[in-house]
Amino acid sequence: MISISNTTATLAWRNLWRHSRRTLLTIAAMVFADTLLVFMLGLQFGQYRMMIDNSLRVFTGQMQVQARGYLDEPHMFRSIPAADKLATSIRNNTRLDAVAVRGYGFALVSSGARTIGAQISGVDPQHEPLVSSIPGLVKQGRYLQGSNSNELVVGSTLARNLKVSPGDELTLLGSGRDGSIAATVAPVVGIFESGNRDLDRQMLSMPLDTFREVFSMGDHAHSIIIGGERSQADSIAAGARAALPADGELVLLSWEKLLPGLKQAIQADFTSAWFMYLVLIVLVAFGVLNTMLMSVLERTHEFGILLALGVRHGRLGRMIITESAVLAAIGLLLGMLAGGMVIWYFRVHGFTYPGMEAMGERFNIPSVLHPEVSLRSLLPGPLAVFIATLLASLYPIWHMRKLRPIEALQTI
Amino acid sequence: MKTPFSMLVTVAWRNLWRNHRRSLIMLAAIAIGLWGMIWMTALMRGMVDQMIDDAISTLSGHIQIHAPGYLDDPSVEHTIAAVADNPELDKLLHSPEVTAWSQRIRVPAVIRSERDVYGITLVGIDPQRERGLSFIADSVVSGHYLESVNDQHVLLGRKLVEQLETKLGRRIVILSQDPDNNIAERGFRIGGIYDTDLQATETTYVFAGIETVRRMLKMGSGVSEISLLGHDYRNVDGLAAEVRAVAGTAETSTWLQLDPYMASMLDVMDGFIIVWFCIIFLALSFGLINTLLMAVFERTREIGLIQALGMPPGNILLMVLVESSIMLLIGLLAGNLLSWLTLLPIRDGIDISAVAQGLEWAGMSSILLPAVKTSDVLLANGIVLVLGVLASLFPAWRASRKVPVEAITRIWQ
Amino acid sequence: MNSTAVSCRKVNKIFAQGELAVHALTSIDLDIASGGFVCLSGPSGSGKTTLLNMIGGLDRPTDGEITVAGQRIDRMSMSDLAELRLQHIGFVFQAYNLIPVLSARENVEFVMQLQGVPSSERRDRAMAILAEVGLQGMEDRRPGELSGGQQQRVAVARAIVSKPALILADEPTANLDSVTAEKLMQLMRDLNSQIGTTFVISTHDKLMMSYAKRLLKLHDGRIIDDIIQDDRQE
Repeated sequence: MISISNTTATLAWRNLWRHSRRTLLTIAAMVFADTLLVFMLGLQFGQYRMMIDNSLRVFTGQMQVQARGYLDEPHMFRSIPAADKLATSIRNNTRLDAVAVRGYGFALVSSGARTIGAQISGVDPQHEPLVSSIPGLVKQGRYLQGSNSNELVVGSTLARNLKVSPGDELTLLGSGRDGSIAATVAPVVGIFESGNRDLDRQMLSMPLDTFREVFSMGDHAHSIIIGGERSQADSIAAGARAALPADGELVLLSWEKLLPGLKQAIQADFTSAWFMYLVLIVLVAFGVLNTMLMSVLERTHEFGILLALGVRHGRLGRMIITESAVLAAIGLLLGMLAGGMVIWYFRVHGFTYPGMEAMGERFNIPSVLHPEVSLRSLLPGPLAVFIATLLASLYPIWHMRKLRPIEALQTI
Repeated sequence: MKTPFSMLVTVAWRNLWRNHRRSLIMLAAIAIGLWGMIWMTALMRGMVDQMIDDAISTLSGHIQIHAPGYLDDPSVEHTIAAVADNPELDKLLHSPEVTAWSQRIRVPAVIRSERDVYGITLVGIDPQRERGLSFIADSVVSGHYLESVNDQHVLLGRKLVEQLETKLGRRIVILSQDPDNNIAERGFRIGGIYDTDLQATETTYVFAGIETVRRMLKMGSGVSEISLLGHDYRNVDGLAAEVRAVAGTAETSTWLQLDPYMASMLDVMDGFIIVWFCIIFLALSFGLINTLLMAVFERTREIGLIQALGMPPGNILLMVLVESSIMLLIGLLAGNLLSWLTLLPIRDGIDISAVAQGLEWAGMSSILLPAVKTSDVLLANGIVLVLGVLASLFPAWRASRKVPVEAITRIWQ
Repeated sequence: MNSTAVSCRKVNKIFAQGELAVHALTSIDLDIASGGFVCLSGPSGSGKTTLLNMIGGLDRPTDGEITVAGQRIDRMSMSDLAELRLQHIGFVFQAYNLIPVLSARENVEFVMQLQGVPSSERRDRAMAILAEVGLQGMEDRRPGELSGGQQQRVAVARAIVSKPALILADEPTANLDSVTAEKLMQLMRDLNSQIGTTFVISTHDKLMMSYAKRLLKLHDGRIIDDIIQDDRQE
């Protein structure tokens, strides 16, 4: 049996090189498609990862603990009691420092010149930098210091509209958790520019304890932000969940729940990309189909001799499929190699195209992309081409199945 | 040279069908390739057209006029003269070049219900003029649209109503700032609720009669913006220049200037379409060259024969090119037909609400209307035909370069 | 007829086969008068085919001069050679003579089409010549639907239809049975005597040789015998 399959393989290999140019062109087509697929998949995954990381890094974090229902209807009274203690136990459970407590409120903010409604976030200046990039994106002045100091940092567009700069005072007027009037006056110490339009236009941060005092929050908060690596999200989530009280009043939300739009945007993009990939794969499959059909048709006479010698149709079929398999395997290997080299090159040097800066701003991605070099970008495209190639060889086999030796021998 | 073309066509045509399986497979590949090109561009164009439509009907119009500084600081301080006070502009806006126009007061404000408070943009509109210009009149899902410039009701987005935990007919309070920096506050009853594809629109804009807003803010006769529509969103620069000439010190901007992201999106799209066409063509070209090379290779003897009979080498090249051109033309015909047939059932749009939230995030709506542009179809056909003939030059050249002896030694024996 | 149809002067042809130089033709001096019916004979590898190639302008000599129809062809360009073949030379090959995608009539018309003969005239002439070679009623068959002898007759019809001065045939009877072969020979000989077309035919066939007016024997690339057998009657 071993010797038989060896001869089949040898025969297949030699047959492939009878028309070396044709075989090379066919392999070139596969390698072209493979390389393109690997490159595009790598780029997509790289881009998605950056979109996710960049979106989460700014403000959202990997996951959050919130009171049940707060995500859909963010009312102040839907809050987390004894939030600091809970945060500490989450830190202990997950062995992760990047856990920060926040409270949110809304207030009319007045400078001397302007009054604008703004979102107020009360943050813990010690832990906030571990879950959000905003503290590092202060363009003027400085970030908040101390959990109970009376000071504010303001989004850049909001600051421009309010016509304030560091040193100016703002008056806040809103309502507290219990419905009482929340009012305070505090100086602006810094202005941040996150690149996220909404945050820059609407947000203003103050130290958490000051926030609690102004908005009558007690020891409550609205959200506990958990950072960390996305690759370890499962174990972090398990640790965090263990710290939650059993009554189910608090829930742990993953980034997919916090930013459902982001997840679906990625899915939508992926769906449309697959349409393109499919067209490409089908075209390559047709090319291979033609090559295999030709190589079978032109050997009709030869097959007639083999049949006359007593070789079974099944054996011929195996020979043809072995040829396709060898062809497809060469394409697979070279394609993955070429594709791998291309994405490795762009991973090191970055990839960009004109117009991407404006797009990048909108989607919160950098204008230079680095493709992801991983098995999930390297394998699926070439594998799909490989399978399509094998499928394409079924037609010639089907075509040969009713060949009679005598007819075949009469064909030149 | 002097070989009659009809003969080349006859021989090429019959040669094409000698191996009908091979030719049919190649034709199918060309047809599918073209189909992929046309479909992909139709969907992408549809998506972009929709985004542009949404952007334009979400208050931008084709051209807007603002006070200098308003775009950077959209406050009540930055106003321009109303149309009635600018006779030249008035004349232009009533000319046939302008299909719709309106003026608005647009200021940042705060809305408060019994339950919650949010920051919004308050827009005072002329309800009759907004019809046909923006989305508002067509999007009211409950209650009714504003009736006049003095209407005392407000129009809220569905999502905002939910967030405020209020409903149709209830009262809300809107706070903003008047030109003297005093807080202007006024209660309104919710007269209507509108629904759009984009949630951000619903939570941002609250509409009221323009004169009602003017009184609330104690403003003079000015307005924040004038928005107008021409005939074609792709071609607005000429009209913008005319508007600029009569707008005085006010700033005139086209929608492309107001939304540079959209403009760059259009450019990226055009570039991407060409790249996509070329990629598909490259994938096709391997098969095309291979098929023709095989055809030429099989016919070495014949090519030797016709050359021996006195056909000039140039004509043999031409013959192979004619063969590939026929193949390309039939394939393109089939591809166009296939595209047309498959686009027909979805010409009213595809419901893509399964991924709607994601599309909304990207500023799109959930019904995708494929947009087949003649220029794209022509470009796709042109690229396949021209590059296809170029690609067949190599096999054709191989055929014509067969020195008779070499080819004929196969004939003699 | 005293004019010269073909003339060769000191024609040599050397093929390089790897390191080895093969002398296919050595110092051939030959004049063939118009209206001749010449057979080339000799064992395989004696240079018959190479000589036909040279005369037909399908290949170039290594050195020496070849004149056909009054024109020096040994240094002509590919295109000019094609033109010369088209206007002055007809070919009959051993096999695969016809263009498979064209019918018998279209094959005959092919050369006339290349010459630019108007289509109605082309058609009439093709029908007439096919009738003359005994293929009436088979004009619309494709080569695959004709027997070997019929195919060769179409090839002869094609070669003579535009009345070339010279017809070159390489073993035209090699794949035919003896009855069909004799009919074909008779046909060629008739054409030679009626129209005066010059024939140069390479052959192994003794019968064919007996039809020749002049018999050239080749061996190892040289002419070793030149026999005039003009007395021989058809």
